Order: sequence, then C-alpha cells, then structure tokens
Amino acid sequence: MVDRVRTSRRGLLGLGTAAVAGTAAATLSACDSKGSPRSAPAATVAFHGSRQAGIVTAQQDRLAFAAYDLTVSGSPAENRDALRELLKTWTAAARAMTEGKPVPGDNDIGAAPPADTGEAFGTPPANLTITIGFGPSLFDKRFGLADKRPAALADLPHFARDNLDATRSGGDIAIQACSDDPMVAFHAIRNLARLGRGTVVMRWSQLGFGRAASTSDKQETPRNLFGFKDGTRNIHGDPKQLDNWVWVGKETDQKWMRNGSYLVARRIQMRIEAWDRDFLTDQQNVFGRHKYTGAPLSGGNEFDAPNFHARAADGSAAIPPTSHMALAAHENNGGVRILRRAYNYTDGVIASSGELDAGLFFLCYQRDPRTQFVALQHKLSRSDALNEYIQHVGSGLYACPPGVTSDSGYWGEDLLA
Amino acid sequence: MRRTLTAAAVPAGLLAVGLLATGCQQSGKADPKGANRVSVTLTDDGCRPSPAKVGAGPVTFTITNKDSAKVREAELLRNGVIVGEKENLTPGLSGTFSLNLKAGKYQMYCPNAKTEKTDFTVTGTAADSTQDPAVRKALSAATTGYHDYVVSEVDLLLPATKKFTDAVRAGDVAKAKTLYAAARYHYETIEPVAESFGDLDPDVDARANDVTDPKSWTGFHRIEKALWQDRSLAGMATVANKLDADLLRLKALVAKQKYQPAQLANGATELLNEVASSKITGEEDRYSHTDLTDFEANVTGGRKAFDLLKPALDKTDPALASKVDEAYDGVFAALKPHAGTYSGTTFVDYSTVGEAQRRTLTQKVDALAEPLSQVAAKVTG
Repeated sequence: MVDRVRTSRRGLLGLGTAAVAGTAAATLSACDSKGSPRSAPAATVAFHGSRQAGIVTAQQDRLAFAAYDLTVSGSPAENRDALRELLKTWTAAARAMTEGKPVPGDNDIGAAPPADTGEAFGTPPANLTITIGFGPSLFDKRFGLADKRPAALADLPHFARDNLDATRSGGDIAIQACSDDPMVAFHAIRNLARLGRGTVVMRWSQLGFGRAASTSDKQETPRNLFGFKDGTRNIHGDPKQLDNWVWVGKETDQKWMRNGSYLVARRIQMRIEAWDRDFLTDQQNVFGRHKYTGAPLSGGNEFDAPNFHARAADGSAAIPPTSHMALAAHENNGGVRILRRAYNYTDGVIASSGELDAGLFFLCYQRDPRTQFVALQHKLSRSDALNEYIQHVGSGLYACPPGVTSDSGYWGEDLLA
Repeated sequence: MRRTLTAAAVPAGLLAVGLLATGCQQSGKADPKGANRVSVTLTDDGCRPSPAKVGAGPVTFTITNKDSAKVREAELLRNGVIVGEKENLTPGLSGTFSLNLKAGKYQMYCPNAKTEKTDFTVTGTAADSTQDPAVRKALSAATTGYHDYVVSEVDLLLPATKKFTDAVRAGDVAKAKTLYAAARYHYETIEPVAESFGDLDPDVDARANDVTDPKSWTGFHRIEKALWQDRSLAGMATVANKLDADLLRLKALVAKQKYQPAQLANGATELLNEVASSKITGEEDRYSHTDLTDFEANVTGGRKAFDLLKPALDKTDPALASKVDEAYDGVFAALKPHAGTYSGTTFVDYSTVGEAQRRTLTQKVDALAEPLSQVAAKVTG
C-alpha cells in the first residue's frame, strides 16, 4: 500500500515536471528569432477607428477601470501642454498594448527599470480595448478648457438613496480597459499610471471579474451577482439604435465630441446577504423576469418582448410596475435606451459589517446623459423594487472623444487643437 | 533596518536578467548594449563556455540544456563564489544571465556533470569607449564627492548621537527626547550606504518587528521605545554604549568605501523607496512621531547624490536632469506645510498629519522616484 502511494506520487511528480517543461518550451518556441512574442491568431480589436473601441465591441470578460487626476500646477497653457504630452504618450502605449506589444521603450538595459512592467509578456491581448473619457473636472480653470465643455457633460444630479464615496467617484480622466484576460486589462491601467507619474495620480480604480451585460447578439446573456440574466434587452449592435442612442452626432455643441459617447459609471453595492434570504417569487418580482430562463414574467422566452399589460391569475400585473425591468424598459420611457457594459465586482469583505463587498460596476454609454441615464435613474432611484437590495456608492461621468485614426493621432487631439 | 541592500547588489554589474529568460525578450536585444555574448551548452560531460575568453565589461551568458537529464544548471564562479547562475534548465530549455565582469579568472560550474568546472577568462579592463571623456570626468568627481559627503555626514552623526546617548546614560528622558531626531538625521541621509554593511544597520536602526528576538533588539528605535512608550531608561545605558560603538564602526567603514555612479543614482531612488515604505506610513518612528525629520533627511541625502551626478547627466540627458530637479523641488514643497517645532525638530508631530496629506506626500515621492529610476542607466556608459 505504502509502496503504491509512493509510486503514484513519484509518477505525479514526474508528470508535473514534464508539464512544466512543456509549458516553458512552448513559451520559448512562441518567440521568433528576434525574441519578440509572436502574436496569437486573431483575438485583437483594432485600436484605430473613427470611434473608440471598447464601447460597441462585443463585451470582453474582464474589466480594469481607473480614474486619474492631473496634478499639474502651471499656467493653463503649460497645463494643456502637459495634458497633450500625457495623451500622446498614453495613446502610443494603448496602441501598442492593444496590438499585443509591450509599452514602447527599452526593456533590456541592465541598469534601467524596464519600460514595460512585464506581467503581460507572452500573453496575447485577448481582445484588449482601452477606452478613454474626460470628466467634468477637466474643464475647470486649470486647463482653460471651460468653453470646450459639452452641455451634455452636465454634472450628474443627486439621485434618491445615493450614498457616494468621493474617493470612488469622479476623476479628470477615466480609462476602461477590457480584455478576456484579467492580467492584460490590469497591465493596461497600471502602465498608464506609471507612464503618467508626475502628471497624473490614480484617484480610484475598480476591477470587474465577469461581464454582466452583452453588447452583441452573438453573446450569451451573462448573470449578475443576484443570479439574474443581465443585458437581455441591451443594444446588441443594431447600427440604427447605436446612432440613435450611443454615438454623438451633429447635434452636439462641441464639434470635438462628434463620434464620441458619454460614459456613466456607477459602483452599485449589492446587499448580498439580504438578497440571498429573499424568496424566489419576490426575487423574480423585483426583476420582472424568471430567474433561471430570463423570460419576462408575462411569459414566453428570454428574448420575447415583455407584455406590461399582462395580468397574473389574481388580476395583478404579471410584471410588477415597480420591477426593475418595467421601470427601465424603453417602452415605458419614451423609447429611451442606453448601451450597458457592466461588470460584476467583489472587493472582499466590508470591514465594519463583515458582509461581502460585492456588486455591479455599472457602465453605460449614451449620446446625452441628461435625457438618457439621468432620466432613467431618477425614476429607478425613486421606485425600483431593487433599491431594497442595492446602494449606489460610487459615480463617474466622462466624455469619451472619438477614436484615433492614424499612427500620428492621439486621444483628445481635437479637444486640445 | 529595512531592506537588506548589499553594496554589491547596487552596481550595474550584477544585474541578472533571469526573469526575462523565462519569457520572450521584448525588443529583440538579448543583452545590454554592446555586451559580449557567451553561449554554454549543458551536457552530461560538462558546460564549456564559448568563447572561453572575453574582454572585460558587460557579458550575457546563454545557457542551453539540449538533452541532459542530470545537468540542469550553470554557475559562474570567481574564487569559488557564485557571481551569476541559471538554474532549473530541464532538457530543451535555455536561459540567460548578464553580468558586468572585471578582468580575471573565472570558472563555469555545472554540478553533476562529468567535468564540473571549466575555466573562463576575462581579459583587459572594461571598455569605456562609449563614454565621453568629459562625462567620465564628471562622474569621477561625483563618486569622489559622494564619498566625501558620506564621510562628512558620519562626522556629524557621531557627536550628535553622543549628545543623545549621554542624556540616555544620565537617565534624562526629557532631554534625550529632544535630541533623538537630530541624532538620527545624519544616519538617514546616508541610509543606503549604512545598509550595505551587513548587520550594522540592523544593530543601529531595526524596528521592533524587524528582530526575531526582542531581547537582542538594539539601536535608535530601542531607545525611542524606552523614551516615548516605556517612559523609562532602565537598562538603556548598554544600548546607548553599543550605539556609539556601532557608529564608530560605521565611521571606519565609510572612510574606505568607494562608489560607482550607478550606486549614487540607485541609492537616491532607494532613499525615496524608504520614504514611501516606512516614513509616510509612520512605521519608522512609531513611538516618537518624528518621521518627517527622517523623511527630509532621506530626500536630502538622495538629492545630494543626484546633484553630484547632475553635471554628467546634463551632458547625457538634460531633459531627464531637469525633470528630476523639478520633482525634487516638488517633494520639498510638499514638506513645507508640515513645518513646526516638535521634539527638537523643525516639523510637526507626524501623528497629526492626516490620511489625505499622507497620500499627497506619497504621490509627490512617486512622481520623483519614477524619473529618478531612469538616471542610473544614463550614468553607466
């Protein structure tokens, strides 16, 4: 018996060594003669384009989000120059990283720290997109950009039940890095912070470990941490809807925002423990959907249109009017839609309560937040049955400029022109 | 005591690139600029370096295990001491390490092979051909200047500490408290140098959590605890005597110490890492809360090293030189609002500095340390 155990363990060890060697060899053989990583087939999203990637791009599995503040202290003209330098450096780095290359610079001078921090070496970009947005604070006196502030970038109002933490809100610049590989996404926000050292500091950041929306009809609808499918009725790539609801057009008062979009970020903490004690029927009434199939409570399948007039056997509305879906549905909001791009998050345990610190990092893109997110959220924050189980604890609003179209272009070029 | 940093680890010479060896070299250059390349193939018979002789200077070794199941590592030895190595190379794997080698006789050593040791020779002196003579001259002045600075700081450290230890021996708690921070100041300016002398720094500057046996804890912080927490100097005379003796030891050591330009630059960065990791957190002077004096001393000592390198850096990378200069100004400016008169220092009690202010201090230090970390490579030819 003892012998057998010993033999099998030795066997396992042997296997383990072989597996390790195999992996290492594969890594080595993936390098060409110059030693640069050979890009894995596909799995890249083009960085260049008239509109930024990472908005309508089929939603990747992982998120690393960061908000940065500029620390400049010169004259508006000097500060604008510093901002331009930063955006040029960041654009070049983002372009390289999304192509699966390291941050530009030397990585092999023995006496210098490597230009790239290295944790994503040998890893394909896994559909990495890096998307930038400018917060309202960027348009204050520091940069002399007040007259470039779009009217649509109006500060978000206070919504009922908001309990916002200033240290998890706002920021001059936001970066949304999405990839199917969490290391690759984190690598992006970390290296941008490093490249900006002395010009920017990271104000706050948020990791999202799993997507909680789908932005393409080719994707399965994922679930949020309440266990419900999220994003069933999202905009799934329909160009007409995107033009109507997501991309800024000629209507803007700021030409530099054409082909851009507005991002609203909300850190929505979930009262996980309380939710888990709620009975199934109530959970379903809170959302207006069946938990497992995702079908509306009015019947049919997941993607069938909900019937808000349908009645249950007892005569009450099949889909309760205070359910999350009923309140948010475009049918009940004059047709208004937003493009959702949310991620599930957890940050361990809340020190004061010992309960899970987890929830939804809600991201949404739109053409004008005033008539889209703000209008919807006013309604939801007052009446949503879900409010018993959630709390908005962080918030950000950012104007995402159009895309970069050439190797010499950079983010925000038209804003700073 | 913080990070153990031996003098030998600082020079540009001993920078193994083991990490890169496991992945892909990113920009296609396998080694530092102009490095000699030596390849070593591991076989059951041995590990013969090819070529067997190179000129002094940077050398990158590429070790390849073609098919040997029993020979899996190669080490470069000098007088029996390992100066570089690559381990865990199973058949089919290869790896590299880079060194800055001085002339002399070395051996390539591969345990378990039929012939374990093969001679390897480095000839001549390191080629300095890439370096402008004016830069070389400026760097030589910098290293001499830094030697003199360290010596002068230690010359201030000893009498300042003597005043402090005299008060401790006299059992005068109140007086010793006002002399504590002033004595430490000249130690903190040269901290990376002091840390390079083995157990000297632990004896002088260990914090309570740095020692395994509380009974063996000595140095400044042991007395700090006695003064501010125990409020009794019982048994501290012995610690005071040892502190004086340890600093005499330091004086003798720094008199003989020689520096390389990269050491000055890395030492300055190291000082900022000290600031960020232990001063801003308030861990350094946890009983006395005189951390800001240590903070200022660290930054001052680093700036001295940088100022000495600046004439050379102005020639090799003037933009970087002015960037670092500005960032140093930024750090000193960030310290200004915390001026005060507390316990014989020119700063406030650090426990009154709030979280947001500490965050700002860290951000200023990071903004300086990032460009400063680029300096070493610009002063190493």
